[in-house]
Amino acid sequence: MSDLTIINSAMLGEGAIEGIKHVINVMCEPHWFFIISCIGLAVFLIGYRRFTKPSFAIFTLIAFTVFYAVSALDSDFWSIIKKADNVPITIMMYTLGFCLWLGFRQAAINDQNMEEGKPLLEAGSDDKVLVWPDLVYAELIALLLCTVFLIVWAVVLRAPLEQPADPSVAPNPAKAPWYFLGLQELLVYFDPWIAGVLLPGFIVLGLIAIPYIDRNPRGNGYYTFKERKFAISMFMVGFVILWVVLIVFGTFLRGPNWNFYGPYEYWDMHRPAALQNINFSEIFWVRWMGQGMPTEDVAGLPYYIFRELPGIVVLAVYFFIVPFFLRVTVFKKLGDQLGFVRYQLMCQLFLWLVLVPIKMALRWTINFKYIVAITELFLNV
Amino acid sequence: MATKDVITKVWIEEGCIVCDACETTAPDVFEVTEDSCLIRPAAMSADFTKPRTDDIVDAAEECPVDVIQFETVSEEVADAPAVESPASGSPAAEATSEVSASPAADVKAAAPAKAAAPAKAAAPKVAAPKVSVAGAPDPAIQALLRAATARGGAAGVLQSDEGSPAVKAWDKTSSADLPPDAKQSKVMSSAKKVEEGLSRRGLLAGSAMGIGWLSLGATTAISGVAFQRFMMPNVLEEPDPKVRVGPAEVYASMLPGEVNEDFKPQGFWLIRTDDGISALNIICTHLGCIPNWLANDRKFKCPCHGSGFYSDGINFEGPAPRPLERFKIVLIDGNILVDRSKKFQYEKGEWENPDSYITV
Repeated sequence: MSDLTIINSAMLGEGAIEGIKHVINVMCEPHWFFIISCIGLAVFLIGYRRFTKPSFAIFTLIAFTVFYAVSALDSDFWSIIKKADNVPITIMMYTLGFCLWLGFRQAAINDQNMEEGKPLLEAGSDDKVLVWPDLVYAELIALLLCTVFLIVWAVVLRAPLEQPADPSVAPNPAKAPWYFLGLQELLVYFDPWIAGVLLPGFIVLGLIAIPYIDRNPRGNGYYTFKERKFAISMFMVGFVILWVVLIVFGTFLRGPNWNFYGPYEYWDMHRPAALQNINFSEIFWVRWMGQGMPTEDVAGLPYYIFRELPGIVVLAVYFFIVPFFLRVTVFKKLGDQLGFVRYQLMCQLFLWLVLVPIKMALRWTINFKYIVAITELFLNV
Repeated sequence: MATKDVITKVWIEEGCIVCDACETTAPDVFEVTEDSCLIRPAAMSADFTKPRTDDIVDAAEECPVDVIQFETVSEEVADAPAVESPASGSPAAEATSEVSASPAADVKAAAPAKAAAPAKAAAPKVAAPKVSVAGAPDPAIQALLRAATARGGAAGVLQSDEGSPAVKAWDKTSSADLPPDAKQSKVMSSAKKVEEGLSRRGLLAGSAMGIGWLSLGATTAISGVAFQRFMMPNVLEEPDPKVRVGPAEVYASMLPGEVNEDFKPQGFWLIRTDDGISALNIICTHLGCIPNWLANDRKFKCPCHGSGFYSDGINFEGPAPRPLERFKIVLIDGNILVDRSKKFQYEKGEWENPDSYITV
């Protein structure tokens, strides 16, 4: 083999690796990352019996670890994951994967057993233990182990201390604590009032409301997916996609100026990225009606209300008409079971859950900004 | 005529773990309280316990800690035993069948078996709602599981089919009838004597409670007032909102679209628009971060959520809903004075105000 061929093949290998990196960078762009995550979740939920088999789970674990380790050879990727702030995300991906596997594995076995008429995993098991000494001892040991782990972690990975705070300078990028990065990502698409107050409020209130809305006794005290497909899928969308995936995205893929950077991409401060955002009112009045934005009060309505009327109508239809439409179509059975008030509550929470990805998709595709943008009243949706 | 051992006396030894199993099996005999299990007053008599021999034996067998003890005597019984059916008559027994209206298909299925009880009362474990648990032959575990079922647990549901009548019926039951705990407590409370009127102890306890709440309220109110004091600090450092930024020619010589960052620590940029000079507030209108001026891209870019503004402060990308705000700016003897106490918002049309810019 001549020197030239060696160099050539090395360059070819190099080129192939760069090509793969480029493909992964593109796949990690917001819309692809989101779509691929959703497809992944859907495939997992559909084939949960197959994908939770121990052999497949171990294969996934090894494949992911190999991919992660090989990726760490890339200096840009390594510089992201080695940051002390970002280590919890790596831990989270493994622990979350394990917990999801554990839950769905038991659900898969139970569902299989139910079909075959065999007893459930939980049947005959007595989950009561004596507080003293059994429970207290177990908790004490767990407490000690956690303390040891946290101390070792704190010693090995030092908390990053930065320069003294300066009210006129914000770090670039300025990132929230890792567990809030999902919310910070939502703030990119929504007004602070919506993403910072309303949506977290809905998360808390919705979780509180679950026992009052969902009175279906199935799944109480035993793992199942087959019997609670809708409920578990909705939870998985809210938790895995709209919280965890957004955290991973915000941690690994948001760089300076809150721009998107691929996992193998250098964080270039001066990389140009410009998007011209557009409000729905402008699309309606300027593009569709071919006239200027209304600036005069009409029939007693302040001009800004009149200007945003199309968006207000869209939202009103979405929140007040769509529930009744869903009631007679996809949620027919569910609506019968829940009754009017429960159904309406469930449906409002559901519509908010769906509105989030809709809005994100609109931003990615047509640079859509706000459906209703009454900046005069600090009211933007 | 055959002879049969019947129970004349039943009692509980120390060591009860309050698992509810015995009460689930024989609710008219046992009463499980917060910390122990009692024999109901009615069950102190031999006449009462005799017909419930099977239930009590079952309960004793199922007791995980074996604290149920009883005395038996042999008695002659008719071939068709005169054992009172658990499903007939006494109010407590009615409660049992109500409990079986819990969302357990098998419990429901057990009801007809119970009705047939008189015919085959000798058959073991007929009285209790039956939850078949494969792989758990230990009666103690069976009983625990049954107790969990009676309290609305899931064990019974495990066995039910998709949309079985029991589950549907359970769905339709009004909330007043649920959960089964309510039933249990009804049975319990009916066995207790209710004290009427206000006793001396009640009066004392009530007044102690009143004093406690009053003092808690008073303490909270006083500390609230004290806390208010911290809202008015002795010294409040408020820098002069007026900032002198120097001669106007310096800024007038900037090219349109250029930004002077010298006064960013004071909270504003001086920008050169096409026909004037303005002072832009550095606070992002989205969530209050401090954007950076990117001279190469000729835009302000917020590092928190990616809002972008043109050099004149107009928002164009990211989530910021409105342009950056302008501060009041005036010309005094050729020198520029920026007053940060007065803001001008574009969306309110305030940038037309002559105080918001200096014409060059």
